[in-house]
Amino acid sequence: MLVKIVCDRKLTTDQFHETLIASVKRYFGEVGLTRIDPRIIRFDGNSLTAIVSCDRNGMPEFESSMTLIQSYAESPVSVLVLRVSGTVKGAARRGK
Amino acid sequence: MGTYLDLHVIPRTEDAAACERMASLFAAAHYATVGLTVATGLRSEQVRSVRRVFEDHGVSTVLRVDLKPSSRTELLRLLRRFRNQYDIVAVRCLNQQVAMVSCRDRRVDLVFFDSANSNFRFNHTLARLLHGALEFNLVSDLTQGDDWVFARIRKAIMIAREHQVNVVLSSGAKSYEMVRSPFQISALAITLGLSQETSIRGVSSTPSLIVTGNRKKRAPEYVEEGVQIVLPSRR
Repeated sequence: MLVKIVCDRKLTTDQFHETLIASVKRYFGEVGLTRIDPRIIRFDGNSLTAIVSCDRNGMPEFESSMTLIQSYAESPVSVLVLRVSGTVKGAARRGK
Repeated sequence: MGTYLDLHVIPRTEDAAACERMASLFAAAHYATVGLTVATGLRSEQVRSVRRVFEDHGVSTVLRVDLKPSSRTELLRLLRRFRNQYDIVAVRCLNQQVAMVSCRDRRVDLVFFDSANSNFRFNHTLARLLHGALEFNLVSDLTQGDDWVFARIRKAIMIAREHQVNVVLSSGAKSYEMVRSPFQISALAITLGLSQETSIRGVSSTPSLIVTGNRKKRAPEYVEEGVQIVLPSRR
């Protein structure tokens, strides 16, 4: 999935990863986290876009978790899914 | 890629920069049309300027009014006053009396329920009466509601599913931070129990049918269902 992070501050890969994991854990728990298996494939801190992946069967849950992200360290953050593709190459191509 | 609509967007009309950013995010999220909820007393120039911001980003707009009547008579009065002025008429149901009339009245396009109100919810009686569509403002309700809001929405979705009512999925975005893509909104609905097909229709064909139907009704040649003026030049 190609996603855009909407926030007024700079985010690092680790901070974005932390935000994603926290959201999945909050809404689906530890078991859900292992099942969904969210990963960051690419992250561009300048354009605040990223390619993220998850287990195919956990896609609605992962998208829901990203939808419900609201903040990181008390500053508002939201995640917008721009494209969904079956392959990383496809998502990267569509992001250009 | 289909045509996606978000029928419940509440822009801050006084903040041009926020509107601009909101519009750019809706365009990036592949929305074709958004339903703008503006205050009924807003001047027409202000409304036009907000619509222009969205249209400059390639997102077409329809005007929507959210009615919040407390009684049946107030609802009927508001419908008489606003039905012809807006493309979409939605009613926030605060009690059973208003909800029953709203569900039955053909002038109402959408009904939605206050997620913060735990005493009154969508129920089987209303599902049987509903002519229009049931709207879920998923982003605003789930990000701003209490811990029980998930359970309440899930219950309403189950009732809607059982009675096969038309469901419209919207964001209810009041700021650019609340803009989400149609994929995310439909995924959220799937997670809460809606079928995949209905959830995709909820962000595409169901709202689209409401908008096209109302545009047709507001056209000058429209008289009533099945009757329209045909001018000789158009033959």
